[in-house]
Amino acid sequence: MAKEIGGEALGRFFVEGKRVRSRREWRGLKDTLYDYSRWLYIMGQLAKFVMKPRNVKAMFRYRWMANYLAVPMMVDRHTQGLRGPYLRMCHLEQDLVIYDVAKLLDNLFRGDRRIGNDKKFSDKVVLVDENEMTAVMMGFPTLKGLSRETPSTYVSVLLNQRAAEHYIDVAQEYGLPGDVCPMPEAEAGVSIDDDAPILGACAVQCNTTCDGSLMGNGVIAKRLELEDDVPIFQLATPMRHKEEDVQEYAAQEIKNCIQFIEEHTGEKWDWDYYFECARRVNIATRCRSEWLDMNKTDYPQVFGSNLALYTETNYMAICGKVPEFETVDKKLTALAEQAFREKKMMAKEYRHRAIVWGVQSHYYMDFLLWILNCWGIVPLTDMLSMVNTEMIAEEDTPENREQAYHDMAMLTENMIMRNRTHGGYKVLLDELWEFCEEFNADMVILWEHMACKALDGMHGMFEEKAREKGIHLVWVSHDLFDARIITRQGVRDQVNRYMRTVFKEEPLDPSLEILPDDASW
Amino acid sequence: MKDLKHLYYFEKLLEDANNDLIRQAKDEGNICVGTVCENVPEPLLNLPGTFSSRLRAPRTGSMEMATYYLTSFLCEYSRALLERAIEGGFNYLDCLIAPDGCTMINRCVENMELLKTMGQGNDKFFHEYMEIPQKGDQNGLDLYVLQCQNHILNPLKEHYGIDISDAAIRKAVEEHNEVCRLIRAIGDYRKEDNPRITGYEFHIITMATYCAPKRLVIDKLKETLEELKTREPDEKNKFRARVVFVGSEVDDVDVIKLVEESGAYVCADRFCYGSFPGRDEIILNDDEDALTQVCRAYQQRGACPRYWDTPKVVGRREYVAALAKEYKADGIIYEQMKFCDPWAYERMVGTVVLRDDYGYPVLQVDRPYSIGASGQMRTRVQAFVESIEIKKIQGGVHNG
Repeated sequence: MAKEIGGEALGRFFVEGKRVRSRREWRGLKDTLYDYSRWLYIMGQLAKFVMKPRNVKAMFRYRWMANYLAVPMMVDRHTQGLRGPYLRMCHLEQDLVIYDVAKLLDNLFRGDRRIGNDKKFSDKVVLVDENEMTAVMMGFPTLKGLSRETPSTYVSVLLNQRAAEHYIDVAQEYGLPGDVCPMPEAEAGVSIDDDAPILGACAVQCNTTCDGSLMGNGVIAKRLELEDDVPIFQLATPMRHKEEDVQEYAAQEIKNCIQFIEEHTGEKWDWDYYFECARRVNIATRCRSEWLDMNKTDYPQVFGSNLALYTETNYMAICGKVPEFETVDKKLTALAEQAFREKKMMAKEYRHRAIVWGVQSHYYMDFLLWILNCWGIVPLTDMLSMVNTEMIAEEDTPENREQAYHDMAMLTENMIMRNRTHGGYKVLLDELWEFCEEFNADMVILWEHMACKALDGMHGMFEEKAREKGIHLVWVSHDLFDARIITRQGVRDQVNRYMRTVFKEEPLDPSLEILPDDASW
Repeated sequence: MKDLKHLYYFEKLLEDANNDLIRQAKDEGNICVGTVCENVPEPLLNLPGTFSSRLRAPRTGSMEMATYYLTSFLCEYSRALLERAIEGGFNYLDCLIAPDGCTMINRCVENMELLKTMGQGNDKFFHEYMEIPQKGDQNGLDLYVLQCQNHILNPLKEHYGIDISDAAIRKAVEEHNEVCRLIRAIGDYRKEDNPRITGYEFHIITMATYCAPKRLVIDKLKETLEELKTREPDEKNKFRARVVFVGSEVDDVDVIKLVEESGAYVCADRFCYGSFPGRDEIILNDDEDALTQVCRAYQQRGACPRYWDTPKVVGRREYVAALAKEYKADGIIYEQMKFCDPWAYERMVGTVVLRDDYGYPVLQVDRPYSIGASGQMRTRVQAFVESIEIKKIQGGVHNG
C-alpha cells in the first residue's frame, strides 16, 4: 500500500474469474477518505434511484438495467492510480455524469408507457439519438430531450463490457450481418427486442457517425414510429460539413427540425433560453480549449479518460442545457490550473506523448489510464475530444438569431466522431499530423475499430504518412461494443508487443501488462 | 431460344471499363466523366460533348493493394475499383465526380485521389465530391440542385468549356429518355409467362447503357427491341420460379446468370446498374428549369437506402412489392455486397417486411463483388426455388 503515485502494483487487485477487484486502493489517508466519500455518494445516488417503485419495476422489465449495479466499479476503473487533483477531477466529472444519467433514467421510466405512464410528462419529451448533438433542444426550456439509447447501450457498455452482446446477437438473429458496427447494431437489437422505454411526443434522429448508425435509425423508426406512433424527424446533417455550399441547407434543416418539435409538442422556441445555453456552450468550449492548451506543454492536466468521457457527455448530450456542468467546468479548470502551476503529474513518469486517434473501444474506456499507468504513455488528447473550438453567438440580437441556426447546424455537423469520420479525408488524416506537431507527440495510438469503415478506409494512408513523418503508429484493433471479438487483454497485447519489440522498453508497472479481467464488469 | 444478335457485342463491351465505345467517343473529342454511384444524375454527365462512364472493374482478380489501403472490411466494389485505379485502369477518365453516397465508396475515391491514380498528362483533370440529399423533401432538393451546379456543371464548364445551359440539359435528358424507353420496352417482355428474354440477357443490355456512351448504343438497342418482337421463346419454360432481384451494386455479369442457372428467372431488377429505378424516364415540363426537374426526378425515384426519412424507407418496400406484383414474381431475393452497411440494414428489414407484410417468400444473401461460380450462392438459390415450389404445391403463401 502506498500513498505516492505509482507506488502500488495496480494489477494485483484483479482476480481471475471475478467481476470485481479484490480491494479498494490505498491512496494515503486524505485521498482514500476523499475517494471513499465519493463511493458513498454514488451508493447514495443508487439508493435514491431504487427507492422509487417505478425504477424497481424498470429494473425487472429492461434487461440492460442490471448493468447499473456496476456503477461504483466503473468509477473505480477510471480512478486507478489517481491521486490529488486528478482523483478529484475524475470524481467531479463522474459524480455529475452519474447524477445526470440517473436523472435521465428516472425521466424515461416516468414517461414510459409500460412503467410510469405519466402521459402529461411524456407529452413534453422529445426523444433524441444517443450519439446526437442536442443543440436543437437549446431553445425549449420546458421540454425534456431524452435519449433511450444512452442508458440502454451506450452507458451500459461502459459499466459492463458484456452488456451489448445479447442485443448484438438479437440483431444478427434477425438477419443483420455481423460485420456492421456493433454500436448501432446493439441499438437495433434493443429495438428488435422491444427493450426500450416507449414515450415522447416526438423524436429526432440524426445521421451521426457512419452509414451503420444512419441505417440503424430505420430499424428504430420501424418500431418507434410505425408501431408505437411516435413521430420522428430525421435531421439529415450534411456529410461534407467543411464545404461552404452545404451550410445554408444545414441551417434550414435545423429550422425544419425546430418547427417539427414545435408542432408536435405545442411549445415555442425560447430565444432567452437558447442564448443562456449558448453562453454555457462557450464556457465549456473555452475550458476545453484551455485544457488542450495545457496538454500541449510538458505538464498536461485534463487528459485520458478525464478528458474523453467528460467531453462526450458535456459536448453533445448536455450542450449548455444543464447549469451544473458549467460549475464543474470551472472547478475542473481551477484544479487543472493549480496542478499546472505546481507542475504536477498524473503518473510517476511520462515516457511518451501520444495522440489517441480513431474510435476507442467502448468496452475498455479505462484503456487510456492503463497506457499511462503501465507504459508511461500520456494520452494527450483523443479524436473524440477534438471537436468544435469556435465560439457561437451568445448575445440576443436580430442578426444573432439568424446566426444561431448556423451555430446549431455547425455544432450538429461537428458531433463527436462525426466531425472526423465525415467531411473528407483532411479532417481525419491531415489534421492528425497537425495535432501531433501542436501537441509535440512522438506517437499515435490508432484505434482500429474493425467495423468502422470510415477509419478502415484510410488505413493505408495512415501508415504511409506516419512513416513519412517518422511518428510511431501503434494500431490497436477492437470491435467497439463486443469484447468477444477482441478481449481487453487482446487490446493490451497490441500495445505491449509494440512497446517491447519496437521501443524495447519495460513497463512502468509490470503487474498491469497482463490482467485477468476477462470476467470483470 | 435463338441468340440475340447483339448479345455477344454487349458482352464484349462489358469485358473492359475502357471499352471500344468509350475509346470511340474519346477519339471523337468527347469528355469522359467518371462516376461511382447512381445518385449522380446521369443526364448531367451526358451533356453535348461529354459522356458518362459508371466505374466498374470487370475481371477483377487480386485486390491486395486496395486491401492494404482500405483493409478487408470495406466492400469489394470499393476495393476492386481502387485496385483497378492503382493499376491504371481508369486513366481514360477526364474527371471523376463522386457523391458522398456511402462511406466506403467515398474513401475509395479519396484514396484514388491521394494516390494520384488518374489524370496523368491531363492538367484539366479534376476530382469533385458532392453532397447529395438523404431525404425526399424540398430542403434536400435545393441542396441537390446547388451541388449539381457546383460540382458537376460548373467544373465541366470551367475545365472543358462544356455547354451547361438549360437547352443542353434538356437535350441530354431527351437522349437519356430514349435509352430508358428502349430498355423499358425490352424489359417489359419479362412480364410474359414464358418470357422471350432472360434476366441475364436483359442485365447485360441494361448494364451496357451505364458503361458506354448512350448515343452509341441506341441503334443496337433499337435493333434488339425489333428482334425481340418476333423472337420465339423456348417451348418449355426452363425456369421454376420468378424472382425480383433487389439490392446493392451489381455490375458482375455472372450474378444474374448464376441465379437463373439455379432455376430462378429474374423478372425484375431493382439494384444499382439495374433498370429499376435507373431507367425510368425523366419527364420535363417547360415551366421550370431542367436542372431542378432532373434533380427532383432523381430524388423522388431514388431507392438507395441512404434516403432514410420514413416516407422514403416505407416507399422502398412498397416499390419492391409493386414490382413483384407487376412482374408476377413468386419470390424476392434481397442481396447485399458483403460489408455494405446501407444494404445490410436494408436487406434485413426489407426481408422481414416483404415476407411478413406482403406475404412473399424472401431469400436474403450477401455476395462477393465477383461471384464467379459460387457454389454457396447456387445452393442457396436452388434451395429457395425449391421452397417456393413446395409452397406452391401446398397452396401456402400467396404470391401477391
